[in-house]
Amino acid sequence: MGEIQLLHTLTTAPMNSTFNLMANSRVIIVRKKGILSPNRIPDLNSLICMFKRGFSLLNGPGDYKIFLRNLLKPDDQIGIKINTLGGKSLSTRPEVPQALASLLIESGIPSKNIIIWDRTNRELKTAGYRLNMNNKGIKIFGTDSRGLGYEQGLTSHLNIGSRFSSIQSRIVTASISLAIVKDHGLAGVTAGMKNYFGAIHNPNKYHDSNCNPFVAELFSTDPIWKKHRISILDALLLQYHRGPAYHTQWAAEYGALIFSLDPVAADFASWQIIEELRSAKGLPTLKEEGREPVYLKTAEKMELGNASPADINIIKEEI
Amino acid sequence: MKRRKFIKISAAAGSAACSGLGPVLMDLDAFQTSYDLSRVEANFYKKHPDREIECVLCPRFCKLGDKERGYCGVRENINGTYYTLVYGKACSIHVDPIEKKPLFHFLPGTPTLSIATAGCNVNCKFCQNWEISQVRPEQINHIDFPPDKVVNSAQKYNCPIIAYTYSEPVVFYEYMYDTSLNARKKGLKNVVITGGHINPEPLEELIQAVDAIKIDLKAFTQDFYTKYVRGELKPVLEAIKIIASSSIWLEIVYLVIPTLNDNSKELRDMCLWIANEIGPEVPLHFSRFHPHYLLKNLPSTPVSTLEKAADIAGKAGLNYIYIGNVPGHKAENTYCPKCKNIIIQRQGYIIAKFKIKNGRCTYCNNRIPGVWI
Repeated sequence: MGEIQLLHTLTTAPMNSTFNLMANSRVIIVRKKGILSPNRIPDLNSLICMFKRGFSLLNGPGDYKIFLRNLLKPDDQIGIKINTLGGKSLSTRPEVPQALASLLIESGIPSKNIIIWDRTNRELKTAGYRLNMNNKGIKIFGTDSRGLGYEQGLTSHLNIGSRFSSIQSRIVTASISLAIVKDHGLAGVTAGMKNYFGAIHNPNKYHDSNCNPFVAELFSTDPIWKKHRISILDALLLQYHRGPAYHTQWAAEYGALIFSLDPVAADFASWQIIEELRSAKGLPTLKEEGREPVYLKTAEKMELGNASPADINIIKEEI
Repeated sequence: MKRRKFIKISAAAGSAACSGLGPVLMDLDAFQTSYDLSRVEANFYKKHPDREIECVLCPRFCKLGDKERGYCGVRENINGTYYTLVYGKACSIHVDPIEKKPLFHFLPGTPTLSIATAGCNVNCKFCQNWEISQVRPEQINHIDFPPDKVVNSAQKYNCPIIAYTYSEPVVFYEYMYDTSLNARKKGLKNVVITGGHINPEPLEELIQAVDAIKIDLKAFTQDFYTKYVRGELKPVLEAIKIIASSSIWLEIVYLVIPTLNDNSKELRDMCLWIANEIGPEVPLHFSRFHPHYLLKNLPSTPVSTLEKAADIAGKAGLNYIYIGNVPGHKAENTYCPKCKNIIIQRQGYIIAKFKIKNGRCTYCNNRIPGVWI
């Protein structure tokens, strides 16, 4: 990995259209040992500290509030796309978006402008979320909520032909991918980019060829590329083998959150962590198992971000 | 309310799926709109350690962990057991003439009760029914329509045939299979309209339960299947051979798409393969493409291209060649290959003239292959 370089303060919102692909990408990994209780509930105050530190390290010497104010506008409808496919055991834990939302509110975002969402209300509830569709407070709901659903029209782009969740296409103006990091039997790794498979009606059609080029091509569609602001990855409990389903024997309490403005670099860093954990357990690499996440290279070629170690600065910090 | 709801479902699906004789008006009290999915254990899968499964129904051989669905979107691994989510969950129900399938040599002029569920195991960029085939079952209205009610409805509405069609029946295999067995007990016939993307073992079992299969052969190159179908050609050809060697009736449809699968060499190769491997008597339909779904950038197929294809098929030695989706075209009719007379004259889906008796041309007594009234 590259050296830690001189950090600079963001002065403008990192809109993807102005994302500087020539610059190195920064990935922040903030870890806290023992953040999960014995029944694997994360401590909320510790999470808030991790978020603050992650944002500050992304921002350089500035305050995390400055970072968030540059990242998001007060009138943005902020979609926090979580991943609740893995049920109670292996989903984005409710405390994680809760901690994020508290910082967004502190930085001036009205709570009613924050939407925590995924595919279905059933999956959200199973993962421990309490639904809220009221206009007051933070909203939590699935695409299958009454009055929402998927667009009737198709978004056709490269090899993608999908109906988007109306949450992503119509409601959200700024999107945060708050995915969980998992080994994936087909994609190799599922993290921030593949999380958006949950924003379309037909993700099952995009798992051929290690999900390549589909993960990258879906990410480059307008409803995602023009709205995505930051990848924040939940690696508190990380499935490093036989994912995406939960298998307790191959789940590590890694205790980390991963932050990056570069969605490709964030996923690349997640992949490296999975490989480290696999290596420590004597498991073959994903490449050796024929499921290297090749979609990352495709994403790099499509100029969605960096997937080469030389172009990525991974900054690790324990708190 | 229920009646209105049902018609709405049928009409919504029908707008995508067909425009035949309209929705079946049933005893609607028997049917409930349902948003629940079925949980009936699937056939044709293997259990692996750690609650993983491998589906062996179709050539995709999806390997799935807990809570994952196959490519079809309608079969799910739930805690190590594989379930079909669409058993008895019909999203489209219509009465169509058999000609609409199209099956031209199977009980001409007979109405069919045609049903479908959501889902498909390929993703053709030119799919005419993508609103039902390329969605998950929870994303579309459906009604509870279990096998016994399908059979009862077919009888009630004077449909001697049940057709499994519109989306891809392979993905609702268990529902189709059980319905077929029920139907057969009541003296009804079963026909399957499929892309043929199915493995030999389930196909051979299905053949025991149904009476005819129409295969959509989408091209004759793997390159086309890779780019525009997201499937494999070889298993489809294998399926055609298996059906042809069985006792049930087979017809083949080839949708001719300008610039993509309409070159003379490919058409010739395909026709020669059919003539040599299957025989000259299998009906081959060349259908006209219209821009749809993800292939809206291409024009409709020129009629001259379809006629060129028919000419190639004739030179390859095939005896029963049809042109579809071109109303009024002379190649909608069946001609006796021996005396050249029109033995079935069609006007759209209507049989205007029928000159086959005891399976033979009434003009020259030539045997005409098919299943006749």
